[in-house]
Amino acid sequence: MKARELHANLHLLDRQVISADDGHPVCKIDDLELTFDEKGCPYIVSILTGPLALGPRLGGLAGRLMVAVTELFRPEEDPGPQRLPMRLVSDINSAVAVGGTPQEAALEHWARVNLIAPLPGSGAAPVAHDRRPARIGEVTGELRMSTLLGRRVLDAGGRAVGQVADVRLRQDGPMLGDVQHAFRVDGLIVVPRHTGRLFGYERGPHGPGPALVRALIRGLHRDSRYVTWEQVDTLGEDVRLSADMDALLPLSDLYRPVSADQGHENGPTPA
Amino acid sequence: MRVSSCVAPILAVLLLSGCTSPAWDDHDYGLKAAQSAESAASSLEIVRLAVRHEDRLTTSYLKTLFTEAVKDLGGVNSQFGGVQPPSPSADEVRGRLLDLTGEAEDQVTSLLIQVRRDGIEDPEAAVKDLEGVAAKLRAFEEAHQ
Amino acid sequence: MKKLFAVTLGILTAFGGFVDIGDLVANSLVGARFGMSLAWVVVVGVIGICLFAEMSGRIAAVSGRPVFDLVRERMGPRAGLVNLGASFFINVLTLAAEIGGASLALELATGINYLLWVPGVALVAWLVMWRVKFETMERVFGLAGLALVAFAVALWQLGPDWHELGRQLTQPPADEGAPTYWYYAIALLGGAMTPYEVFFFSSGGVEEKWTRKDLVTSRANVFIGFPLGGFLSLAIAGCAAVVFFPVKAEVDTLGQMLLPAGIGLGQLGLAAVIFGVFAATFGATLETALSSGYTISQYFGWQWGKLVRPRDAARFHAVVLAGVIVATALILTTIDPIMVTEYSLIFSAAALPLTYLPVLMIANDPDYMGDQVNGRFSNTLGTTYMILLLVVAAAAVPLMIATKAGQ
Repeated sequence: MKARELHANLHLLDRQVISADDGHPVCKIDDLELTFDEKGCPYIVSILTGPLALGPRLGGLAGRLMVAVTELFRPEEDPGPQRLPMRLVSDINSAVAVGGTPQEAALEHWARVNLIAPLPGSGAAPVAHDRRPARIGEVTGELRMSTLLGRRVLDAGGRAVGQVADVRLRQDGPMLGDVQHAFRVDGLIVVPRHTGRLFGYERGPHGPGPALVRALIRGLHRDSRYVTWEQVDTLGEDVRLSADMDALLPLSDLYRPVSADQGHENGPTPA
Repeated sequence: MRVSSCVAPILAVLLLSGCTSPAWDDHDYGLKAAQSAESAASSLEIVRLAVRHEDRLTTSYLKTLFTEAVKDLGGVNSQFGGVQPPSPSADEVRGRLLDLTGEAEDQVTSLLIQVRRDGIEDPEAAVKDLEGVAAKLRAFEEAHQ
Repeated sequence: MKKLFAVTLGILTAFGGFVDIGDLVANSLVGARFGMSLAWVVVVGVIGICLFAEMSGRIAAVSGRPVFDLVRERMGPRAGLVNLGASFFINVLTLAAEIGGASLALELATGINYLLWVPGVALVAWLVMWRVKFETMERVFGLAGLALVAFAVALWQLGPDWHELGRQLTQPPADEGAPTYWYYAIALLGGAMTPYEVFFFSSGGVEEKWTRKDLVTSRANVFIGFPLGGFLSLAIAGCAAVVFFPVKAEVDTLGQMLLPAGIGLGQLGLAAVIFGVFAATFGATLETALSSGYTISQYFGWQWGKLVRPRDAARFHAVVLAGVIVATALILTTIDPIMVTEYSLIFSAAALPLTYLPVLMIANDPDYMGDQVNGRFSNTLGTTYMILLLVVAAAAVPLMIATKAGQ
């Protein structure tokens, strides 16, 4: 069986997380946390959520304020975002389903106890003043996906190739919780200039329409390249490649039809 | 915070749109006068339509409609009256228009009083009066455009 | 049979729920000043809202994701946040206008100043959102809004010169400048395509747990209900064009806007129209208030909606409550509700591409849609509208400044 392939920015970041039991919304994937396997290849260990994950991604005044306010109300020495271990993920589709009962967000708890529950008819029995289930075994990683996105990419000769726009993942990393393989980094999609997102139009020669929007976005990113993980030398402040710029695949080659099951490569297939 | 940064200019626009800018010369003043006459005439026309069909409308509706019209006319009066006429010849324009809008306001006020009491006494005469003033206002508007 | 009944009920709800204070104000103003010469904009707007509401309904049915969820998913957190700020601001402005409209309707019915009604309207609206089931709420006010059909009857009763109305379709009045004409065209488009309509429509679809089987219902609502609503809009404009346009009277209060119904149909018609306006604006109060909760909750991934008890969606209900309080406070400053409506229309028009572009992109994404992706027809029309909306968005605020908000 071929391992599943996903794009971090397109298929995971900012997706809705729902409960695997009853489908109720849990949170958004505000960020992803990676760690390195024995070969030095990063793979995803947990989903980060909450203002301490979203704030740094937003940046600017809004992001800093979001982080500052949250830290003000968190008693810990070094508060971190809430983590959902990747091993709990049971389905990745138009939403990401997680099993177990994740800890309730602090703001939800606060709003319920202080604002909503005191109002008549809120459906609330007198609330016990404790937050629902405690954290499910912390798994801390070493690298946030959002810091990988947007990094400058330099080739072996030190020439700037562009910046990371998306990260291609393949589900053949180490085992997580004995049930599934981790998504490991398989390659980087590098765009030549700061033109923002690819909106999914990088997929396939017959990518989604409308034709005009597709042509416009492809045109903006026409010199985009695909860097395989083997071509990456070091992941420092800049991504250093061991290959020369001319040896990199153009992005359009990524989905050149090679076999009949090509259709399944264009993203997650419905479970 | 992004929201609040858009609120400020919008509130400013909302507030400013309620004010009238000063008149720079006689021509500008004339244009302002014409605009005020137009808006007063428009209010009067609506009152006239309502009075002509007063038997088809409810009292509370008429009351609200006339109250709004009085407020509108009063607003025109005080807003235009607040603009400084730039020359002595403009004084005369000012006087004529304020007479007309004042008359309009009086008429509608008296209609409002009648409606509040026990209905409009003589709708036909009222329609005629309103038509007269509205026509004068329209003529004034034509003359100053 | 039961299915047919449900579909009919849905259509009637969409029909009665289409017109809100924005459509009412924009169409009356335009009818009085420009006759029927801007009727084409209503047609363009109705086709546009049908197109994008159908897409968002289809997305909701196939993938179970509401619109604002997708806005962030596709535009990213930063562009999404800007979008959220704009949408939330417009939503609260519209909410204020709707509360004002419902209170004005009560003033017309009772003769008691509208400001006294504002807190009561807001409180009752909040109670309905707090306690009443989604489906009941949507149906009751949608159906009550059907009383606005009185405008169409009134137009017919006024016995207009249809020939003259037809002539106006292509001939704008000579004494109005081009900037004002286009300014009001944009306001009308903003009224017909208000973004909260798709937020509400798609969130409603998710709340009612639409699946592929419900695509028929969704499409029937959109393709029959909305055009009927657009027909009502045109009837409102037509009434104003018959009564006010010939005597060059401009309307600027809600009372004036309802005068044609009274003249055409007498006290009974007037009462029906006042009731219809109240139902429509009160229904829209609920829709906009809930939409403000939907947008924020869906951006941050919170639990939202009315299917769970309020205590289980605490942040969502807190946002809705805060929205209602802010909007009520805004109206209680004695700011003119009709003016608030006019501004909300223009800002809505300026924000249209922000909402509709992600919808268009997702409706094309096979990951979400499977075999239900847009066809060639939807895409051609969608692209055309995208270009149109971008032009409108760029022109809206400059035109507002140039025409001093249409004076």
